[in-house]
Amino acid sequence: MFSFPVAGIEAPILLLVLVGFTVGIVGGFIGVGGGYMVTPALIVFGFPGYMASGIDMTHIAGKGIVSTIRHRQLGNIDWTMALSMVAGTMLGVELGVRLLVYFKHLGISSIVILATSVAVMFGLFLYTQIETRRAHKSIEKMEKEGRNIGWEVQTSRLPRLFQNIPLAPIVICRTARVVVSMWVIVLVGMVTGILAGFLGVGGGFIRVPALVYIIGASTHIAVGTDLVEIVFSGGYGALRHSIEGHVDMMAVVFMISGAMIGAQIGSLATQYVRGPAIRYILSYSLILATCGAVLRLVYVLTGQSVEILSLFAVMLTLGEMIFLCLFIISLVWFAVRKRREKWVPDWVHSLTV
Amino acid sequence: MKKLINSMLGYWILLLVISLGAAAVIYEIWLRGNI
Repeated sequence: MFSFPVAGIEAPILLLVLVGFTVGIVGGFIGVGGGYMVTPALIVFGFPGYMASGIDMTHIAGKGIVSTIRHRQLGNIDWTMALSMVAGTMLGVELGVRLLVYFKHLGISSIVILATSVAVMFGLFLYTQIETRRAHKSIEKMEKEGRNIGWEVQTSRLPRLFQNIPLAPIVICRTARVVVSMWVIVLVGMVTGILAGFLGVGGGFIRVPALVYIIGASTHIAVGTDLVEIVFSGGYGALRHSIEGHVDMMAVVFMISGAMIGAQIGSLATQYVRGPAIRYILSYSLILATCGAVLRLVYVLTGQSVEILSLFAVMLTLGEMIFLCLFIISLVWFAVRKRREKWVPDWVHSLTV
Repeated sequence: MKKLINSMLGYWILLLVISLGAAAVIYEIWLRGNI
């Protein structure tokens, strides 16, 4: 146990480093900050809610920089797309926060936030899961036919629809190999920003599917590009929370020490898998987070009287981090085994390179 | 075990059980008093 004087609590250092490490792996792999996992975990460790958000945001900013540098080296960032989206994201976050304040005045913010979280996350899970299964089957079919398969297979028709909107200026995103109206990118940033600001999260889990299914970027590019957004939003959030005195730097240092290693591993792990594998992990993350939000929603609706629900939510939050981390590491391990021509499960062949 | 791992759903369930078990151990060791 270590004493954190700013937060006024004692918490185990090892757990903070471990949380940083696991969320670092997940964040570097699927391109999210992981606030929806870290903030509840920090509250469970005893940090007050406002301080959990502050510590989370500051650690996300640091981790985002490490992941972004690594993804830039891997050629996974489209700067045109990232910078076009930043303006829309910032405006969207501001609108989202104002919407939140409106519901707060009505006195129903907790229920509305949780219900919206459940609807958004479950909807994204369903779409991502169905599309990814289709893509997985399509790769298996191509493998049987002996065709050459690249890093990405995507079966959604939505990107073509949005890429055909003839609204000037049209931008050429060279790294992503996408030609699309700039307004589509700004609008995607704004809508995901509204949701992020309203739900009080970074929004990576909304932006990555949006970049893939609306703009038409490959999953690897979507992950790298979203991490650039996270550096901006996390950096701004860290600054605001620091000014308000919501950050215990000792806790941030412990978390970042784990996250820096985890983020490198997670970013490098993307080089062992095809796009659908990243989307599978993203969808698993979404369904587990949905289950956690449902438990918390029922807990709030029952007047916070059923304690066992709160306990299940805690277990699910911790379990989710471990689960995603194990899945990513095992995929890399299977990929290495496949390269050495050793036995791997059948479903792994088409997901790894 | 090989049959279980060979199915994606089976592998998913196996990892989930391991993860929730690990979460329960972490809870017992460090967090019981905090909640």
